[in-house]
Amino acid sequence: MATILGGKPIRALGGFFAMSLDTFVQMFKPPFAWKEYILQSWFVARVSVLPALMLTMPYSVLLVFTFNVLLTEFGASDFSGTGAAIGTVNQIGPIVTVLVVSGAGATAMCADLGARTIRDEIDALRVMGVNPIQALVVPRVLAATTVALALSATVILVGLSGAFFFCVYVQHVSSGAFVAGLTLLTGMPDVIVSLVKATLFGMSAGLIACYKGISVGGGPAGVGNAVNETVVFTFMVLFAINIIVTAVGIQFTVR
Amino acid sequence: MTQAVPSKPYLRLRRASRGVVGGWSRIGSQAQFYAKTLASIPDAVINYRTELWRLIAQMGLGSGALAVVGGTVAIVGFLTITTGALVAVQGYNQLASVGFEALTGFASAFFNVRLIVPGTTSVALSATVGAGATAQIGAMRINEEIDALEVIGIRSVTYLASTRVLAGVVVVIPLYCVAVIMAFLAARLGTTAIYGQGSGVYDHYFNTFLNPTDLIWSFFQVVAITVVIMLVHTYYGYNASGGPAGVGEAVGRAVRTSMVIAAIEIAFISLAVYGQSGNFNLAG
Repeated sequence: MATILGGKPIRALGGFFAMSLDTFVQMFKPPFAWKEYILQSWFVARVSVLPALMLTMPYSVLLVFTFNVLLTEFGASDFSGTGAAIGTVNQIGPIVTVLVVSGAGATAMCADLGARTIRDEIDALRVMGVNPIQALVVPRVLAATTVALALSATVILVGLSGAFFFCVYVQHVSSGAFVAGLTLLTGMPDVIVSLVKATLFGMSAGLIACYKGISVGGGPAGVGNAVNETVVFTFMVLFAINIIVTAVGIQFTVR
Repeated sequence: MTQAVPSKPYLRLRRASRGVVGGWSRIGSQAQFYAKTLASIPDAVINYRTELWRLIAQMGLGSGALAVVGGTVAIVGFLTITTGALVAVQGYNQLASVGFEALTGFASAFFNVRLIVPGTTSVALSATVGAGATAQIGAMRINEEIDALEVIGIRSVTYLASTRVLAGVVVVIPLYCVAVIMAFLAARLGTTAIYGQGSGVYDHYFNTFLNPTDLIWSFFQVVAITVVIMLVHTYYGYNASGGPAGVGEAVGRAVRTSMVIAAIEIAFISLAVYGQSGNFNLAG
């Protein structure tokens, strides 16, 4: 049998797009798996919230600290709120959400689906006439999307509060000046772009996790490898989406 | 007939304290594992040198399906290209909105070194090398291969964990160089080729503000993060349980924990190194 060099990754890519298309088609076909959707949303939210908050704090403190070194040199530390807002809303918010939703939620989804696949439970569903895409994949992808959207708003809020406390109480910036500086360069369009980013991230993380989960092969080691690949691929895709959406969105936000 | 056992007194109190005590003993067992792993590194160098070389080669070039996309080097390079380009996109436009776009080169020299490269490298390492280690060791644990190692007289912590920590530190040295070069190149290309800034302007501000001391500190930051990431990931792999799904869950938990710890570590090292003065002089 002749196989072309690199045929496997191309087939995997094709399989991924086929599953994504299936998912989008099935999303609008009744019956919608409400129970699974709510359970999965709750699950992803439960595993993601704490790590997200723990990850936001150091990153926003680091950002404000680095930015303030610069602003103090200019004698403009009153504008530290501006820097905190640009960094947190545009980058840290969506990126931390990505890292957590893919690191915590998507890995668990992939592990769960992968364990079902190698025990042939997915095939058993097909035999019973249940479409696994509709019953399992659609609710998971939607749950990841919903939670990413909700989480990014929380992360931005927590990041800004962390930056506020660090600036005001550790670096002795005037609190009024910090708050006044927040909206100087960052406005409604930035927030909308940030939320759009988080939604796209959540959706792609969910799709990759589900594809890797239902295409597992090779026993327990296979599940571990699939989860590993999920993390790597989601991070790569998410960073790629981030740069594209930032470049497109900045045309609308910076005046 | 079953014998009725009277319930122990203060049941609710016991249950509450069990959670607290369990948390403490988990932290204790982690600390024990980490101390043992670090202490057996010399042993690993002396006795398991072949395994060490094998792991260094495998981590650098990737294993299994990851080798298809070019291994760890390619993934780290790709992630830092995107974040370096982010400096160009966000930095150039944001600075242009206040009329300072000439300073994009400065933003690249300053933020890439202090913030973006350590952050991105830690995330990339945790995803590739770290998660790979958890998946491998976890699969060995649930297949009872680790017990088999112990039975044939191989010290499993040294053979599996210490070698991986050391291999991670060796592999991260070239990886850090790739990451920094890619981030600088992407920021320069984005600013000069796409946004059309004169390359002389960019290079002038970049070279003026690139501080070699910062680069060295950033390098040590990344090495310190690598040690912690590899320790966390080997611990979660070594203690995986609960069948195939358990390995997957262990990978997820390890990625989550190591990312949080790496972020805290970066923040604290930055605060300690750059301090209140910031180690930065605009006036020269």
